[in-house]
Amino acid sequence: MAVIAGRPRRDALLPRRLAAITDSRLGSLGVYVVRRILWMIPIVFFVIVITFVLMHSASGSPWDKEGGRQLSQVVVDNLNKKYGLDKPIYVQFLLYVWNAVHFDFGLSYQYEGKSVTTLIAEGAPYTMTLGVLAFSLIVPVGITLGVIAALRQNTRVDYATMGFATFGASFPNFVIGSLMVVVFSVFAYKATGGNFFLPASGFGLDDHLIMPVVTLALLPTVFTARLTRASTLETIRQDYIRTAWAKGLPERLVVIRHILKNSLIPVVTTLGPTFAFLVTGSVIVETVFSVPGIGRAFVTAVTSRDYPMILGTTILFSVVIAAANLIVDILYVFIDPRVRLT
Amino acid sequence: MAIPIAAVEQSGIDWEVPEEQIGLWQDAWQRFRRNRLAVLGAGIVSFLIVVALLSPILVHFGVLIDPFRQQVEDIQVAPGVGGHPFGTDLLGRDILSRLMLGSQVSLTVGLLVQFIIFPIGLTIGLTSGYFGGRIDNLLMRFTDIWYAFPDLLFVLVVVSVWHLSGPWFIQLIPIFGAIALVNWVGLARLVRGQVLSIKEKEYVEAARSSGSAPLKLILKHLLPNSLGPIIVTLTFGIPQAIFLEAVLSFLGVGIQPPQPTWGQMVNDGYEAIYANPTSVVFPALAIGFTLLAFTFIGDGLRDALDPRMRR
Amino acid sequence: MHLGVSIRALTLATAGVFAVAACGGGATQTQNLAPADKQVFNVNDGTEPNSYDPTQQTYTYEAGVGREVFESLLKPNAAGTDVQPAAASKYDVSSDGLTYTFHLRTNAKWSDGKPVTASDWVYGYQHFLNPALAAGYVDPFFDTTIKGADTYGSVDVGNAGAIDSFTQGLGLSASDANTFVIKLQHPAAFFKWVVTLWVAVPIRKDVVDSAAGGSFPSTDTTKPEAWAQKASTVIGNGPFMISEIQSKDHVTLVPNPNYWGGAPHFTKIIEHFISDANTAFANYQTGALDAITVPLADVQVVRDDPVLSKQAKVYPKLTTFWMTFNAAKAPFNNSDVRMAFAKSIDRDKLNKQVQHDIQQSTLSFIPKGMAGYDTSNKAQSFDAAAAKALLQKAGVTADQLNKFKLLTRNTTRNKTLNQFIVDQWNTNLGLNLQLDVIDSKTVTSRIRKAQFDIYGPDGWGADYPDQQDWYDIFFKNSCHSLNWGCVSNNGGLNGYDDLVNKADSELDQNQRNADYKKAQDMLINEAAVAFIYQDYEYNLIKPYVGGLTITAGDDQALPGNFFWHDAYITQH
Repeated sequence: MAVIAGRPRRDALLPRRLAAITDSRLGSLGVYVVRRILWMIPIVFFVIVITFVLMHSASGSPWDKEGGRQLSQVVVDNLNKKYGLDKPIYVQFLLYVWNAVHFDFGLSYQYEGKSVTTLIAEGAPYTMTLGVLAFSLIVPVGITLGVIAALRQNTRVDYATMGFATFGASFPNFVIGSLMVVVFSVFAYKATGGNFFLPASGFGLDDHLIMPVVTLALLPTVFTARLTRASTLETIRQDYIRTAWAKGLPERLVVIRHILKNSLIPVVTTLGPTFAFLVTGSVIVETVFSVPGIGRAFVTAVTSRDYPMILGTTILFSVVIAAANLIVDILYVFIDPRVRLT
Repeated sequence: MAIPIAAVEQSGIDWEVPEEQIGLWQDAWQRFRRNRLAVLGAGIVSFLIVVALLSPILVHFGVLIDPFRQQVEDIQVAPGVGGHPFGTDLLGRDILSRLMLGSQVSLTVGLLVQFIIFPIGLTIGLTSGYFGGRIDNLLMRFTDIWYAFPDLLFVLVVVSVWHLSGPWFIQLIPIFGAIALVNWVGLARLVRGQVLSIKEKEYVEAARSSGSAPLKLILKHLLPNSLGPIIVTLTFGIPQAIFLEAVLSFLGVGIQPPQPTWGQMVNDGYEAIYANPTSVVFPALAIGFTLLAFTFIGDGLRDALDPRMRR
Repeated sequence: MHLGVSIRALTLATAGVFAVAACGGGATQTQNLAPADKQVFNVNDGTEPNSYDPTQQTYTYEAGVGREVFESLLKPNAAGTDVQPAAASKYDVSSDGLTYTFHLRTNAKWSDGKPVTASDWVYGYQHFLNPALAAGYVDPFFDTTIKGADTYGSVDVGNAGAIDSFTQGLGLSASDANTFVIKLQHPAAFFKWVVTLWVAVPIRKDVVDSAAGGSFPSTDTTKPEAWAQKASTVIGNGPFMISEIQSKDHVTLVPNPNYWGGAPHFTKIIEHFISDANTAFANYQTGALDAITVPLADVQVVRDDPVLSKQAKVYPKLTTFWMTFNAAKAPFNNSDVRMAFAKSIDRDKLNKQVQHDIQQSTLSFIPKGMAGYDTSNKAQSFDAAAAKALLQKAGVTADQLNKFKLLTRNTTRNKTLNQFIVDQWNTNLGLNLQLDVIDSKTVTSRIRKAQFDIYGPDGWGADYPDQQDWYDIFFKNSCHSLNWGCVSNNGGLNGYDDLVNKADSELDQNQRNADYKKAQDMLINEAAVAFIYQDYEYNLIKPYVGGLTITAGDDQALPGNFFWHDAYITQH
């Protein structure tokens, strides 16, 4: 297909596009954003409903012990009264929703006297630090690798990059994490007599971060690289790109202004949820490196039937994911001005 | 300034929307066959399927060590010791034969989950992206709910309330369910994003203004042009599903032992990572090779189905 | 006591006392001490305590903090043979065995410097026994012993007046500032052990009230726990105090400057919460931890390592594991069937090979290290032919048995053990049984409802080294091993309950032991359960940690924690 005169130019200058958005779109974009934020209310409500039903259908009570002497029925009854579990289930549900509307997410069953809000506030900084750092590793590395591989499709560079990417993705992250511990902590400690090694666990804004962040980032980086490569391959075959090459535009310009911008839609789409998953934590990475984050807190809450904590973490996750997807949808408009959000 | 090879190869090639569907598939098949890596990938996958089908027979005739036989005097031995080419696990069972038998469960999980995800994600993504407006909004808010769906709870409930037991393919049902339930959303949003962008392109506009039916438009333009990212997602989803099965067994809701699965073998191997690191490396490598094979096939398919690559 | 369950740890429980080894040099080698800033002891507690209020703690990982910060009236001696003075310098028992008078140390002080008074003890026990707070360890230790506590279960927890009259009416009193008197419902020779528990400690009312922001009705369940949320308000009477709580990561203990027994050598104990055994093992090897429990799969690594093998310490825990049958269900209501299963497990193969020769095979109930340990009854010993004959005698066919499943908690270790055990039954009895692995809470919920066929490894760990703590779990109405399902109509053992009750209240120790022995023979001969092994702890301890008094009652992965006051770090 030939380039049609008068088509919206892919190389349209940024100011012009911004002007276009300001004229007609910024207003509607604002309305759109407000509407989407309001949409979070029914989303969170349904998430609460689903989670509530599921967790009360799961067998086992929060007071069942995992071994040793079980609590007597008397104590169990008093505990049920203490946490309102003696009330009919719909009353429990309505009470929970009522309190949640007032940002009271209840007391954890597992941690005596601690509120869910406190528990999440304690764990979130660790999880988010790791998540944001991992994300800032994933985006540049993943996209660069992907574009390079695509531009050099079926060359050694392509094979090397994608081979590495595939290799990296073939190990579950707890295996990678613990193999790294074996090599960079234990082996390095022995080899250097304790002069150089990475700490195997804990959290600190220093070398403690290296292994968890790399472990966390590895799979999404590989996925982003492959996705970028595939998407870039689609793009570089488009006529306007061929035109751009034919015009003799500098490679950097073609890559950045033409190829990358047009390949980003799928990448951005998946990076949104990836970001949400990262900042809400990975149970595996947090367990292997003993990071006191909220990723582990969710799984512990499920396995110990800590109902308020299950609901609290799920709600947090649903809000983060809805927000991330909102940002993605807004980014679509900036990446491709023809995309219309309604 | 060097022009990338890909661009050179294709410069000057014009393409049209194929009118003959049969021609498209025939062409695609030919292009696929010409791609050596894709053929290699297909070879590896065929080999794995043969292994999965043959291993019970090989065990029956004694060619292969019984994967369930516990030789407790040979616990966690290194590869090559005591006639175990890949060593033994925590109970002295042969890792090679367990890997071979384990390919049954792992391949089934990896592949079948994609077969469930693909139609759901694709339909919702295409519908949402193509029609836009209220439909898009409703469908995407629906996916937002599913993104936050507590999958772990779901499997726990299904396993404990319905109490599915029996052969491994019965036990797999809730696991499939859970993995598929939460994973179609990614594909749906991906497809929708692609469609949102592609549907505004000139050739789509042109087709639409010339009166093409929506379904035809979707199948002929929107789908083929979103294929690359879709294939990457699906091929990537295979090892992810295999790992997820492992995580679920780690949390106590996976396939019942002693049935071997690659994911469980990675879990067990992790336990012995200091004592016998190969017991975690071999199953991980098996998953890696599977991923590699499907990636080759995926890339081959993508290229083969790419309308712009037709000559 | 309940043992903390990390996702990879075998569930179950320990406590009790038995001195096995003292590591390092004697406490006299003080010239070898490392400087004060190096007196830091890093251990792994596995999981953060669910509460820093000791009365609310039930798991060993919780008691591992509670015991250091608070001190009970008495504590077990190092050998585990008797109690020794702790917060009380001595105690008297009235001749009728109903009144215990504890003479508190006059120089005992709280960590903020105020003296510990008898009324603090009364308040601590009342706080613990408040039914609204539903503390896990009240039943059966305290509600069945302390006078007035027998109505614990019938108090209306919504009525502050009812709660207050219950707690005020308990047989607890302070006859003067240094004398704490406890009255009992009936004589109980084991009560001296009950007061060694970490839950039976004094608590400061003024601290509780000020953290709660004033006084509150006894029905309130949140305000009385406010003080336990912050390190600064957890004021205890123990040798150490909490200086920092880094939630889910670690808790730091420093010496209580006002402790009556003087300053300990350690200037800091850091209890880390690392749940992954491999991570803890790595941390030990890089020096970040000074003591760990070795994961079973890594035992061979330690043995083969010239350095690590010298730092290994193995000591018995007062814990026995067994397989439980659903005796309410045919054919497991037939003792021949149960015995056939018990006799078809090759325990030595299991413990020497699968468990790397750490755990010790057992055919009886009471573990080594406690009064009552007796290996003479070998009725459950491995004999495949005899087992098959028993099945035939019972007239049970393989088809009838093959539908049964072995209910298994989802830890790697439990899965590994049970795959072996099922394989033993299938091989030795010609069966085709399957495993049913499921998440731990579901397992507990099923066994409590008796929805299982066979369950294991099930077990018991001593709360204190007295047999009374052990035999009641097989009572007809007890919700434990013989009566999972918590209903008393499924048999029980004829005459067992009476025999044990008699032994519990018996004052003549020889007669008591003889009665318990008879009860143990009943359990073994009837194959109430199939005894499998006694738990041993395989630890690595750095050679520079000295003065540790390791006992069989130590909390998991915290070697010597009953006597950390006397431990120290040497120059290294």
